[in-house]
Amino acid sequence: MGQVVAVLIVFLLLRWLFGNLVDNSRRTGISLDFGFLNRPTQFQIANHPEFDPRSPVYRMVLVGIKNTLLASVFGIALAGVLGLIVGIARLSQNWLTARLASVYVEFFRNIPPLVIILFFAFAVFLHGPLPNLREAIEVGFPGTSHNLFIFSLEQWGIPSLADAGNLLYFSLAIIFALVVSALVWRWRTRVHDQAGDPHHRLFWSVGVLLLMLALAYVLLDEPLRVTWPTLSENRRRVIDGFAINSGFISVAGALGLYTASHVAEIIRGSILAVSRGQTEAANALALTNFQRYRFVILPQAVRIALPPLINQGLNLVKNTSLAAAVAYAEITNLTASSIGNGRPAVPSIVILMAVYLSFSLIISFILNLVNRRIQLVAR
Amino acid sequence: MTAVARPTSSSTASGWIRGRLFPNVASGIVTVLLFPLLIYLAYRAFLFIVVNGRWDVIRRNLNLFMQGTFPRDEQWRILVQIILMAMAVGVGGATASAAAADRTREAGIATRRQRPTATLRRFGPLILFVLVLLYFATTANPWLFVLAVVSAGLLGSAARFLPPRLRHLGWLIAVLALIVGFQAVSGTTGRSWLATAILVSIGVWLSVRQEGLSPLARLATKTALVALAAGVVYGIYTVVTVPGIGWDKWSGLHLTLWVSALAIVLSFPLGLLLALARRSTLPALRVLATGYIELIRGVPLITLLFMGQFILGFMLPAGSSLSSISRAIAAMTLFTAAYVAEIVRGGLQALPYGQTEAAQALGLTPGRTMRLIILPQALRAVIPAMVGQFISIFKDSSLLYILAINEFLGVRSLVHAQADFRSVAHAETLVFVALGYWAFAYSMSRESQRLERRLRVGL
Repeated sequence: MGQVVAVLIVFLLLRWLFGNLVDNSRRTGISLDFGFLNRPTQFQIANHPEFDPRSPVYRMVLVGIKNTLLASVFGIALAGVLGLIVGIARLSQNWLTARLASVYVEFFRNIPPLVIILFFAFAVFLHGPLPNLREAIEVGFPGTSHNLFIFSLEQWGIPSLADAGNLLYFSLAIIFALVVSALVWRWRTRVHDQAGDPHHRLFWSVGVLLLMLALAYVLLDEPLRVTWPTLSENRRRVIDGFAINSGFISVAGALGLYTASHVAEIIRGSILAVSRGQTEAANALALTNFQRYRFVILPQAVRIALPPLINQGLNLVKNTSLAAAVAYAEITNLTASSIGNGRPAVPSIVILMAVYLSFSLIISFILNLVNRRIQLVAR
Repeated sequence: MTAVARPTSSSTASGWIRGRLFPNVASGIVTVLLFPLLIYLAYRAFLFIVVNGRWDVIRRNLNLFMQGTFPRDEQWRILVQIILMAMAVGVGGATASAAAADRTREAGIATRRQRPTATLRRFGPLILFVLVLLYFATTANPWLFVLAVVSAGLLGSAARFLPPRLRHLGWLIAVLALIVGFQAVSGTTGRSWLATAILVSIGVWLSVRQEGLSPLARLATKTALVALAAGVVYGIYTVVTVPGIGWDKWSGLHLTLWVSALAIVLSFPLGLLLALARRSTLPALRVLATGYIELIRGVPLITLLFMGQFILGFMLPAGSSLSSISRAIAAMTLFTAAYVAEIVRGGLQALPYGQTEAAQALGLTPGRTMRLIILPQALRAVIPAMVGQFISIFKDSSLLYILAINEFLGVRSLVHAQADFRSVAHAETLVFVALGYWAFAYSMSRESQRLERRLRVGL
């Protein structure tokens, strides 16, 4: 009885809201369908000179998704590395290190990520100490006429690798080498498990990997070449090398710094959560400090830390939507501009939410897999 | 055999340095490397704060940061509001702590009065922020303002000396001060009666007790009384019309604090209901609640805010209008409710099933089991997590900047629209704003850690 009433109430509420929506859209003549996806975008995406404003809106959505993923990957990498260092530093015996790490954590954890993003965008780049691209700082590679770095407030350039023909075959070779080295890893593990010989897994598999890559590189006649960052003729863009926009650095850097503080807390918490008896047992077995961490503490800490760490990754992906406040063309920013350019709001936002929802579903799928794998099997 | 470091005495300075800075070779190297870095950072910070920083941007715009574009002639309203709020906090805090002291005395546990210095240390970050504000003050008004607020709080905490018989009067005074404080700014026109009516109705619902009636009759009386109370509030508000400033004209730190407080208070009951629905045995309810929670948790807050701005107005009947701040509060409430629901669900799941069985064995109805046995324990266990969620929504209120609402972060755009500060002093304003957010969020997080220790809870 109760649930019939509840479902009825929810149904009537939704019916009322959507009825109003349809009425209003009919009254104002604003469309609700997704046909606009095939019509031209009609605006230029900042820092994407290759994007044609006449290409359809769904192309713009794809550009946005790509940039969201790019910022997320770099932000997660930065947050992971920095958070690991800070989290372990907070547990250090060294007073100075532990203090610095806890100041870092308590500062970044308690300010909004948007403030950090704006600090990068306004105080470091737009109104900061760097010159604009016209007077960009060019750091040369010693002994050559190439640029190693280009710094300016709009774009940074770093050296990069480019296709010199045969890149496709080389990528296939890389995949093949990875598979082979994984097999070598398993083989050494089996040798160790069955015969008790030292496994030297790292040595064997990395050795095989490097050997095969070197062979492929020589056989495929140097498939990669280094490209050095160069300023274009009119000094408006960085060509060659790898050009990083300041918007990207603001978003990925700021979210990396912010999330690192949360990651550090998770790492510290999960190391502390491994019960003290485990340390004592390891000491009783006369394990060295390294062995104690590697074989006793860390495997158990990882089990505790992984689910919340994956959650932080998801939070970072969702937080890239804060780029709507700065000039970085990810999906939220582009959707806002596109609504501002007269695209219908309702379907645009539905698409935006669907994109984030699918990211979340993928990450929670991974989380479930991980959870199943690391779960303790009770016998 | 591992070398275990010889315990060094930390009572002497050299012992401390050896033990904490150079316990072994690797650690000593880290210390030697970090020390110059630290000195350099301190030097740069000193240069920024004392020598190079253009802090006149804060000094000249302090008022703008605090209350934004609130009409200058009406500022007395905010003064009255904050003094009443301070009084409410003082009365409420004193009543709560006196009640807790009574309970511990009844249980026969020795209590220790907290030293005033401990209280000061608890609110250290906030006090630091207020001192920074006072440093930037150019007139005596902020000093008088702080003095008035502190003395109102102290005056309110005199409620500690109310006899236990009159303790409910303390709560009544606190709630009244809150209501009057809110109305002091918003006036009694427009829809402001709604907020008060909801508050009063909840109060009536909770405080009316009639034993010895059948459940149906009790429900009927309670509903009638609540309807009566709401009607009386509406009546008062239609008769007494005091013009005020609606919150579409609020801005600055004032708005940030109100928006986050409202989102927190409004999302709690919704989240509680969602959690109960998700744990319910009725499949339709469970599916609806789970769907809502997972949908909201899967998208960032900004998409909901966009929805509030672009779509919500579209979903209401033609002609009805909500200010963009009301729509933002609605979006933040809907968003936070999903997270609150998950936290409450965690608390419900952590409670052993024996509690429910024991309550059933005593013959309690399902409703009473939930209200008297399950919820009090489950909610107590999730207080720290809940505070964490509230910190997060406080920080997220900065997203209103993206909607061009001038909250604490958003007033920066007004400051930098001034000719003197168009392209300078961005770092200064951002550092100041960060300090403001940090002071509130850090105080709350320390308070939640203290609660976690005191209640011995945490999941």
